[in-house]
Amino acid sequence: MSFPQLNENQLDALREISNIGMGHAATALSQLIGETVYLRVPRVTMTDIGQVPELLGGAEKVVAGITLRVLGDARGNILLIFPRDSAQRLLQRLLGSEADGLLFDELGASTMKEVGNILASAYLSAMGNLLHLTLIPSIPLLACDMAGAVVDHVLIELSAAGDLALMVETEFHGANPQQELIKGHFFLLPDASSLALILDAVGGGQ
Amino acid sequence: MSERLSVGISEFRIAAPPAKLVTYGLGSCLAIALYDPERRIGGLAHTLLPSSRLAADITRPAKFVDAAIELMITDLLAHGAARDRLGAKIFGGANMFEPLLGDPDNAVGPRNIRSARETLAGLGIPLLAEDVGGNFGRTVEFDIASGEVRVKSVRGREGEMIF
Repeated sequence: MSFPQLNENQLDALREISNIGMGHAATALSQLIGETVYLRVPRVTMTDIGQVPELLGGAEKVVAGITLRVLGDARGNILLIFPRDSAQRLLQRLLGSEADGLLFDELGASTMKEVGNILASAYLSAMGNLLHLTLIPSIPLLACDMAGAVVDHVLIELSAAGDLALMVETEFHGANPQQELIKGHFFLLPDASSLALILDAVGGGQ
Repeated sequence: MSERLSVGISEFRIAAPPAKLVTYGLGSCLAIALYDPERRIGGLAHTLLPSSRLAADITRPAKFVDAAIELMITDLLAHGAARDRLGAKIFGGANMFEPLLGDPDNAVGPRNIRSARETLAGLGIPLLAEDVGGNFGRTVEFDIASGEVRVKSVRGREGEMIF
């Protein structure tokens, strides 16, 4: 099954539910790092699979990527992408360490996965409550590598059904001027067959 | 100055010197380089899935390992390459994440690698070099003038390797 063209109402509906879901995730992150987290209004993009790495900032850019499968009534993938320096700052904030190789040690990796877990769970439970769908995140997987390599398993999965990806994307950042910025991108990539279900549930199916 | 031509996901491209064909950030995806050293012409593909045989949708055949190899051979022969001079090199097919469930050999990376080896063997194209598997990403640069392929990674090992 491939993605249908979406009308303005449907795009609005997707933006709105994602905004609410992401709002919950941002609150969770804000409690975790103890500062206000700002969100950009979500962007909904229907794009060729080949363009996705560009939208993530370039296929060769080194990122910390956390990926979770969405299970339950609707299926898809969640990707959390932190630029390498932001991931390191986030870890320093959470673990209070100055170590450089932090991202690659066990504690750093499991902390990043937990961050992914908290954000994805907050996002999915808000969205599930709103839509009356059961949405469950899988265990998080982490890779710190080139963005293209980190996401290609998601693209491979989507490419078995077609050549398009639907991405709901939000950028978030902390705002403490005394400290360097932590920013990241949150992506929801629903499977083609789940998109109709989500749109029906949101009432924008027509 | 040599010309760097980028090969996107689900694409292949053939070129002559002084071009270099580049594809960025391969994870489980597999890059296949084919080269005729005498005619000095080569092609590079960035494939996602092992086989077009069971696929529902083949509007973009170069996303499949088997179809991309066959298409690239046809294109190279049409541009003066000789089939019996062609050699292949393959790169990528990693498992970027620790396996959660099931047999890691059944992950898509290893399946892409197997499909490439089998397709090439079936077509009688020798596999001259490979840098596959592992759990790290690769960027591949294929210098058509020399036939050399540079593989760059940021994790798992340092620096560049030449194949």
